[in-house]
Amino acid sequence: MVNPELKSFTESDEEALKNSLKRCSPETFEAAALYRKTGDSSKVPEVVLGIVERFLEPEARPRLHQSNADKLRLIEDLGIDSLTMVEIVILTEETLCLTIDNEELKDLRTLEDVKVFVDCKIKGLPLPTKPTHVDVEEIYSLMPHGHPFLFLQSATLRNNEASATYEISGTEFFLEGHFRENPVFPASVMLEALGQLAVLYLLKTERPEFEGNAVDKNKIYFTSCDGVRAHRICKPKDVLTLNVKPKRIKHPIATFEGQVSVSGEKAAFAEEITLTFDFKKRDTKTATQTTAKQGAEQLLVDQD
Amino acid sequence: MRNVVVTGLGFATSIGNNASAVLDSLQNLKHGIAPFVDAIDPSNPVHVAGNIQDFNTTGYDPEDWTYPEEYNIRREVLRGLSPHGLYALCATKQAIADASLTEDLLSNPSTGLYTASAGSAGCLSHHMERMNERGVLRCYPLAIVASIAGTLTFNLVAALKILGSSCGFVSACASSGHALGYAFDEIATGRQDRIIVVGAEDGNRESIIPFAGMRALTSSKDPNTASRPFDKNRDGFVCTGGATTLILEDESSAQARGARIYARFNGWGQASDGYNVAISHPEGDGLARAINLALKATGINAQDIDYVNAHATSTSIGDTSEMRALKSVFLNNGGASPAISSTKALTGHGLSLASAMEAAFCTLSIHHGIMPGSAHIETLDPEAEGLNIIQETRPEAPKTVLSNSSGFGGANVALIFSKYSNP
Repeated sequence: MVNPELKSFTESDEEALKNSLKRCSPETFEAAALYRKTGDSSKVPEVVLGIVERFLEPEARPRLHQSNADKLRLIEDLGIDSLTMVEIVILTEETLCLTIDNEELKDLRTLEDVKVFVDCKIKGLPLPTKPTHVDVEEIYSLMPHGHPFLFLQSATLRNNEASATYEISGTEFFLEGHFRENPVFPASVMLEALGQLAVLYLLKTERPEFEGNAVDKNKIYFTSCDGVRAHRICKPKDVLTLNVKPKRIKHPIATFEGQVSVSGEKAAFAEEITLTFDFKKRDTKTATQTTAKQGAEQLLVDQD
Repeated sequence: MRNVVVTGLGFATSIGNNASAVLDSLQNLKHGIAPFVDAIDPSNPVHVAGNIQDFNTTGYDPEDWTYPEEYNIRREVLRGLSPHGLYALCATKQAIADASLTEDLLSNPSTGLYTASAGSAGCLSHHMERMNERGVLRCYPLAIVASIAGTLTFNLVAALKILGSSCGFVSACASSGHALGYAFDEIATGRQDRIIVVGAEDGNRESIIPFAGMRALTSSKDPNTASRPFDKNRDGFVCTGGATTLILEDESSAQARGARIYARFNGWGQASDGYNVAISHPEGDGLARAINLALKATGINAQDIDYVNAHATSTSIGDTSEMRALKSVFLNNGGASPAISSTKALTGHGLSLASAMEAAFCTLSIHHGIMPGSAHIETLDPEAEGLNIIQETRPEAPKTVLSNSSGFGGANVALIFSKYSNP
């Protein structure tokens, strides 16, 4: 579907576009002009990237060109404040003939969110579902894990993805021996952290495959892990950004792809992390509800 | 009450962008006035204006502006600035370095920042025009913080991470005098140990041309003589933009950190004419009372003032009014006139910037032992009879100096500075 706002692209429009993108790369202008002339949106992600780059301070710019730039967080990794976000929005609106509501901006956290969002807007597709943010207290109450072996501090869940952070405090018990006098966060624990994020995803996300069942937190176990590569040594004070994406979920097996990064730099990658899981017993749940309902009726009777 | 001293100066002015260039201009009476061409209406009668070298703030996109490399301003700061915001930030960074203020002392609850500016009429009209053209939600998000009165305070406090008291002063051409005066009070009463005071103006089309509508500007085309305070044939002022920053400090705090002290700021006085919205009182009533209050507050006798940096802007009525005020203060009881000059002959009139700029000139004069002359006088106004208006810079060190400023509505501020001697 072509953006209905795209009208004939006159020479003066081209001049205006060139002027408003004068601080972007020439490729940004060309990609934008292609879209405006033909409606071909294949290069729109380049336009978005070019516009974001134009508003960044010089030291943040190279980060946009690293391999996993899409995972960069707008505020924390790129230093974009809410005013800069408005500057980006206005230039994006003018460049791509869009109107973006304030409400729609609230859930954009990463560069990828922005790209997906703009792509949906220009194609007239429904916007991605709102992410769910899970704070540390809720993580603790949902998860079967606990101190000293829980490696999620805050998490964001989307339909098809979960991300979380963990700051290495330096006081983790295993750092005492891994290694002596040289604390390095073990790659095996990074995999554990990714596995925990996958557990959180299963517990908190309502997948259609679950057919209304709820996953039982006491029945999830790790089964296998493939294609694991570690890229970077992680030390105390590093903030791990964890990310998992479900590849296949079919009761009782769930397989995820996982990645760990630090300030946008890739730290570890796992092609597949596989868990087994089972559901809570349905009849128990129904029984509980019945009891509660009976209790309420009883209460009403008592009040009469 | 604590003593207040001046420990840092910074300039982005028509007669120099650092203390040594400014001093050279004052010593050799080099003016900073250049031809002014109005791009929108070349037929308008304004032909000259103060020119800030090494800065180009044409247009309203800060990322198009150029400024001396050494200041290296990040985009997140630059985007909220008006032209005078840029001048002010540069002058202030310069003053901070000049005062050898460490990061710790700069961003410190005991350090404040006061500003004086009328806002940026140019930025405001540019952004409002664009908003009307493109729609409210496409209004430049920093339009307001870059434009309205207060823009200097918002931007500088954020850019310099100021933690002490901060506010802006708006009293037209007396604004930075008020900023200095209230900063003095804040330090003297012990609320703050130091306050950075900055005055600035855009000095561009929108800040200059409207004064032609008031018939307040000179019609002269000759930059070499256009601004001529106290001249019999003066016919209006020349406008200038730019910025000047002074760092005021509690004496003992300055001594404790081994700061170089330019001069002592003894105190100030202020009074209003209660007369006309734009025209000064014909007898200089408010200004005379402001000067007398400053003398009283500082315990200094009129006869101890060696040099007066006059407000005199080169308008017919304003200069006359000030000459009458000076006569009433200094000559009434058979006293002698101190040396008097208006450095606006060199700089042009800096409006909100004027008082801070001239206070800094007084400070430099005391520190380096000169009395700047009043340039460009061909025929001295007979009204000046009895007043010692010096037409050449004298290599004489003034001990005690008075600096006057008067603004719209008849707001008058008198500041007194003196040579600092280590107790």
